[in-house]
Amino acid sequence: MKRNRKGLALAIGAVLLALSCAPKAPEVYASPEYPTWARTTRTVLDYPIPGHMNRLRIPRMNALGFTATPLADGDRQRWDFPEDTVIVKEVYASAKPAAGERPVQLTIMAKDPKDPRAQGGWLWITKDLPDGKETVFTGNFCITCHANANEKHPYADKNLKEEFRDYVFFVPGRDNGRPASASGASPGATASEYGGVP
Amino acid sequence: MAGQSPRRTRLAIKVNLILVVTLAVGVGLILAAFAANLIASRDQITRRFLKQEANDLYTSIENFMIPGEAPLAVKFFAQVQAVNPGSRILLFRQNGNFAFSDNTTISRVNTNLGTAKFRPREGIVTTVSMPSKPGFAQAAATPPAERFFREDEGGRSYFRAYRPLINLPKCTVCHGSDHTVRGVIDIRSDITDEARGQTIILAGAGAGFFLVVSLLAFVIGAFLRRVVIGPVNTIGLVCSGVAAGRFEGRVATRSDDEIGDLARTVNTMVEGLEERFKLTKYVSAGTLGALRAGEEPKRVTRTLLFTDVRGFTSYTEGHPPERVVEVLNALLDSQARIIHENGGDIDKFVGDEIVSYFQDEDASLRACRSAVAIARFCAGHGVESDGLSVGMGIASGSVILGMVGSARRADYTVIGDAVNVASRLCSLAKAGQVVVDSGAKSEAGPGLSFKGPFGAKLKGKEKPREVWILLTSTDDDAQGNFKGGKP
Repeated sequence: MKRNRKGLALAIGAVLLALSCAPKAPEVYASPEYPTWARTTRTVLDYPIPGHMNRLRIPRMNALGFTATPLADGDRQRWDFPEDTVIVKEVYASAKPAAGERPVQLTIMAKDPKDPRAQGGWLWITKDLPDGKETVFTGNFCITCHANANEKHPYADKNLKEEFRDYVFFVPGRDNGRPASASGASPGATASEYGGVP
Repeated sequence: MAGQSPRRTRLAIKVNLILVVTLAVGVGLILAAFAANLIASRDQITRRFLKQEANDLYTSIENFMIPGEAPLAVKFFAQVQAVNPGSRILLFRQNGNFAFSDNTTISRVNTNLGTAKFRPREGIVTTVSMPSKPGFAQAAATPPAERFFREDEGGRSYFRAYRPLINLPKCTVCHGSDHTVRGVIDIRSDITDEARGQTIILAGAGAGFFLVVSLLAFVIGAFLRRVVIGPVNTIGLVCSGVAAGRFEGRVATRSDDEIGDLARTVNTMVEGLEERFKLTKYVSAGTLGALRAGEEPKRVTRTLLFTDVRGFTSYTEGHPPERVVEVLNALLDSQARIIHENGGDIDKFVGDEIVSYFQDEDASLRACRSAVAIARFCAGHGVESDGLSVGMGIASGSVILGMVGSARRADYTVIGDAVNVASRLCSLAKAGQVVVDSGAKSEAGPGLSFKGPFGAKLKGKEKPREVWILLTSTDDDAQGNFKGGKP
């Protein structure tokens, strides 16, 4: 009987050890509900830019991100998106994908300043489709480019007042680009998807 | 203690081997891990500085480029190199061509701006070929990846960084949006001196470690040989000597530790053993056997041989005591030797008398042979013995064999009628004569010659006994003249 108890204890210990040593399930940043999130811009992002070239991009942000409002930081306006804000940018294979065509890649910004991999307070992630593997970028390629969002740049309202925009090119209410068209911007998109952006 | 080196050498080798292996494996691994960690840390620090340098340069170039002052960047690179000759900074286009080697970029910028804002330069000389290092492709790819690596070239060591120059959104106004990476900054830092210093430190540390290990092994080995192995070897040799019957060996020690205690205990033990060994000369073999076996007194069959020097009393009167003792000891020693040679056991010496007994099937035969040999010895060594000879009596029968005496002092001896008979027969025997009882004569078998039987009236015995004279072929007259009776 004693031997059985010892064996059981050993087995439980081994299982607990195996569980403690097992790799943790990776966090999924691109939530399955992300297609229901509102877009951050009405601009049709089908023009070529470094990094994505002329492939269509559609950025969406969770509701938490839309609560961000600019605050005065001296003479400068400052945007600080709340922690757990997630922006998912769909990247399509071409500038004008066919109706119903799925994106080939998702690039994700997840606000998580406590994560040691965070750069500028954000995790920079790519999710290759269709295999669905998410990879956190440890290089500085993404942030180097997105740092331009915090100064004058050629996109949206061009940030002429050089607001600190927390590395986000298209912040709510600062969109003066071309409106999205049903045929080109997003297959099956509707105007209501633009979260509060007129 | 001489002749102990082989064993000591083996032990010393083992101890030294254990020490060296322990130090080499234990300390060596820790030291190696520490050294590896140190090198890795140093490399990491160097990389971090190089990365920081790359970032600083990137920022500088970016700021040169925005206002269209690329030539300033060229000057900046040259000045950095002049200040620090060990360093080199180069800028390559994405296709691997050296930047500023021609007017391609100026033409493209002017096209993108729709105006000839920048004037093509003249007299541009390409002095650097495109990098052939494998990391360059990754640094120029989309997405680009920074590359840091170490390389040796021309007998010198370098840390090298490929830092991608990204076509930032703000750069696209001039450079266009059709590419992601504009070029690669190639930063090379000379670390030859550091690498050489590192090698020297490692070699010195390794040599120092080897020396320290060797010295420690030697010192500890010598210490152990002196304090532990030497005394233990000596103790072993002393014990081996004792096992071989040599008791003169002692362990010389002055230490007051456990080894010293052991040595002193061994010395005490050897002294005790030596004392007991010496005492065994005064104890019969049967006594020793009984002590070993812890035998209780028991009834056994034995053949008793008594010998007694004839005319000894008168001899002592006419000779000095020293001579008496000398002759008696020689006579007793010769008899004892003969008895032992025939498998007999000396029970005791009583003055000039020997009491001995024989056991096993041919006990009587061997007793008789002993008696014959003693008689012949006495006959042949009359001069040395001053003419002394012995009379002998042999009887066989059941006796009690065992410890007799008190708890403080006891003898292991034989008691019984056969003992008394043998003693009486010895008393009857003349010099050189052997008187044997019928039982012993019968057991001795046909190989011996006896004369008799004679009827002998023994002291303390009511009936006369039938006795025989063992012929020793040395003195027929003496053998035939038996005072105990007539055949």
